[in-house]
Amino acid sequence: MAVDADVVRLRRGDLNALSELMTRYQNRLYRYLLRIVRQPAEAEDLFQQTWLRVVEKIRSFDASRNFDAWLFTLARNLAIDHLRRIRPQSLDEPLANSWHSETAADRIPCNDHTPLDHALAAERRTEISEAMAGLPMMYREVLTLRFEDEMKIEEIAQVTAVPVSTAKSRLRRSLEQLRYALEARYPGGTWQ
Amino acid sequence: MSEHDKIRELLALAAADALTSAEEKQVAEHVRSCVSCSNELEAWRPIATELRRLPTPQPSSWLVQATLARAEAKLTEQAEHDWNRRVMIVVVTFAWLLTIASWPVFHVVSGRFGRLLEPQFSHTWISFAAFTALGWLAGGVAAVMLAIRQRGERRPA
Repeated sequence: MAVDADVVRLRRGDLNALSELMTRYQNRLYRYLLRIVRQPAEAEDLFQQTWLRVVEKIRSFDASRNFDAWLFTLARNLAIDHLRRIRPQSLDEPLANSWHSETAADRIPCNDHTPLDHALAAERRTEISEAMAGLPMMYREVLTLRFEDEMKIEEIAQVTAVPVSTAKSRLRRSLEQLRYALEARYPGGTWQ
Repeated sequence: MSEHDKIRELLALAAADALTSAEEKQVAEHVRSCVSCSNELEAWRPIATELRRLPTPQPSSWLVQATLARAEAKLTEQAEHDWNRRVMIVVVTFAWLLTIASWPVFHVVSGRFGRLLEPQFSHTWISFAAFTALGWLAGGVAAVMLAIRQRGERRPA
């Protein structure tokens, strides 16, 4: 695995390297935290804490290892500690609020589709994000790592600190739970 | 568990592109001949597709700037802490070297002048006083250097 030059520079105390890394990971990290805690204010606080932890621990990080997995593991540990402290029940229980949010980029019209296509696609996204928000934390986490961060099973296993086989079965169960949730919420819809 | 049931369990993971190449091959071969599994796989695909298309919530630029500022302050603080530690190590090492190196000198000096005084007094008390004085001097120098540096860094730009 290639050693990340920005990580090496950050280990030497280079402030520009920190800025580069933050630019590269800010969206993915914020999204991951938001998927876990579901509250923007809490995700923002954890986002800051994660980067402070990165600065604090970067010297103990082996630069030849996978920085993505290390970063997400730090974020995960902080998020789980936070949830245990603030809302212990939220690690397993679904929350009524939806974390779904639309970005400016999502609102840019695409010429390839009709307004009806857009409306249907937006509806499907809303449905799936609401169903996902109702899943337990460990399922939301594995879904976002696989489908949004496009991590391999091995990387997911590393971040979640479980064996590869467990990560795989957790992904399967999370998809099954999501499908059941979609079918239950929207009977007769396009998910069946 | 039959082959069909085993493959059925892999279909969700197939839609998630999370199978090994051997498993992928098994699934591909099975769904070619099994309509039920083929339909099931097709039912998983829109879920996987929509999951990949979920909008990415983005942190505000204020949050990113504030985080960067805090992280940079922490990085600077760590660098300062490291520098202080290095200075302290150098000063303490220097103090000890000076103390050890001064022993022969004091031995000679106390030997010459001590003859005029009582021998035990010259060897014990002069050496003890010199050792203590050097120790305090080295500690004082370190404290002054660190204070000057910290004051300089805390001064607003």
